[in-house]
Amino acid sequence: MIRWLNSTLGRGIGFFIVLELMLVPAVLYWPDFSKHIGKFRALAPLPVMRGIIDTLETGGAFAYVTGQHFFKGCNTLGVAAAVLLSVGAVAGEAHRGTLEIFLARPVSRTRLLTERYVEGALAVCLPVFASTLTIPALLEHIGEKLTYGPLLWSALHTNLLLLAIYSLGFFLSTLSRTPLAIAFALLFFTILQFALYLVERVTHWSLFRLTDVERFLEIQKRGGLDPKYWLPLAGVSLALYIASLRAFARRTP
Amino acid sequence: MVEAAAGKIVARGLTRRFGSKLALAPTDLDVGPGGVTGLLGPNGSGKTTLMRMLIGLTKPDAGEASVDGAALEGDGLAIRRRCAYAPGEIALYGELSGAQQLEFLLRGRERDAHARAEDYARRFELPLERRVHAYSHGMKRQLLFAAALAPQVRVRILDEPSEGLDPTKRGVLIELLREDAARGTTILLSSHHLGEVDRVCQRFVFIHGGKVIANESAESTAARARRLLRVAYAPHAGLAQALARAAGELAPHVRSARVRDTELLVELADDDPRGVLERLTRFDGVGAPTALEFGRASLQELYRDLYGVEAC
Repeated sequence: MIRWLNSTLGRGIGFFIVLELMLVPAVLYWPDFSKHIGKFRALAPLPVMRGIIDTLETGGAFAYVTGQHFFKGCNTLGVAAAVLLSVGAVAGEAHRGTLEIFLARPVSRTRLLTERYVEGALAVCLPVFASTLTIPALLEHIGEKLTYGPLLWSALHTNLLLLAIYSLGFFLSTLSRTPLAIAFALLFFTILQFALYLVERVTHWSLFRLTDVERFLEIQKRGGLDPKYWLPLAGVSLALYIASLRAFARRTP
Repeated sequence: MVEAAAGKIVARGLTRRFGSKLALAPTDLDVGPGGVTGLLGPNGSGKTTLMRMLIGLTKPDAGEASVDGAALEGDGLAIRRRCAYAPGEIALYGELSGAQQLEFLLRGRERDAHARAEDYARRFELPLERRVHAYSHGMKRQLLFAAALAPQVRVRILDEPSEGLDPTKRGVLIELLREDAARGTTILLSSHHLGEVDRVCQRFVFIHGGKVIANESAESTAARARRLLRVAYAPHAGLAQALARAAGELAPHVRSARVRDTELLVELADDDPRGVLERLTRFDGVGAPTALEFGRASLQELYRDLYGVEAC
């Protein structure tokens, strides 16, 4: 547990640092971006991208910051972190041949798996919350003001999608002994989802429609999460966690 | 429900298939309380599968088991709390030091188990401060053994604990096993190094092709080895058929008789070979024996000659 926690903690801190490194310049660039937004619209090659810029213009600093941090930062780095932190949980042990010593101790399988699940999930989700908490302070440097409430609701919403992807990777890990294959499959899947997002006629099929700027503007307007979105996302994670427990109970070293 | 007694390992009809391969045919086992039992057999014979099933690492397709009074149920946690296990696989976390690896292996054990494990590791002269990736194969094996010996339990299940050890370290291991058995611990020990196992075991269970083919005390096994008669003949046309006929004729008068190449292998029913030797002179078509050996077979030769199985 200590070994796993060390590596998970390290990866979580690494994820936070990279998120923050992307967030700081993006936020500080907002005044210039808002000034030249018309030029950006003219440069955008796809109708979907022009639509995003329109939304940023009408949504102001909140739309821009959530677009930069959640839609761009968390949907790319967050998905990568969710995949990398989940696929090794069980498949990594099997791949290294250490699954037998992992399971042979007098600790229940449910406990072993739950510890792994929670540690990895926290390493994915906490950095998103932590970096979100720095946004109001960063905005103050450029004379903008945003309250924590809508930002933290947006962070929670983003985390629900990341948790669902993490849970999928975790479930596949309990079935497999090749973590790399799962990682490639999941990363291919998410890249495909991004590609779908950018194509106007099929954009509504993309998973990332669930965490785009329009969704965050809805959260801001509503002052909380919409059960239409958060319930299915949380349900998927819960179902995959239960499926992981069942698969792990039958797992042979 | 199987008998659940303190210090005993009991299995009834334990069975496991991996796909179409029968890894373990319905198996009954009674070990202990106390003493060292050797689970012997060649690689792939089903020893590890049986041991893993006994502690809940592999779910049986059928059958039931109990270890130290705890029934095999769910994920086998109740059993793992009552017995210590040394796995056959020696993959460890290379990034951990020996001491940290012991801490990992002893999670869920009593507080002073770690100190005892370090004591055992010191008897093997293991550098516990060094990272495990610098350990040799034998050192990793010793570390696993030290961890399995540390918990205060009544049953230990040890999968190939001596594999990869040099003769000196193997001697230390046997000494530690004897000390543990003297405290009344029940030890089920798998090995395919028969020469060493027969020094420490009071009972042997021989497993081959997923089936238990012999289960007897060390004395009885040694007596059987002493009663093994091996008669060699010069090869010639028709020898195979003549030997098969001779084995058939001998069978009612001995415990077993079989042919291997140009040899007739006979396990006598008692210590007196004279009756069988007298019969040997009357067989047609085999010719005169070129060599005859009696009373010198090792345990390894016994299994090879009687079951046609290379145990080592």
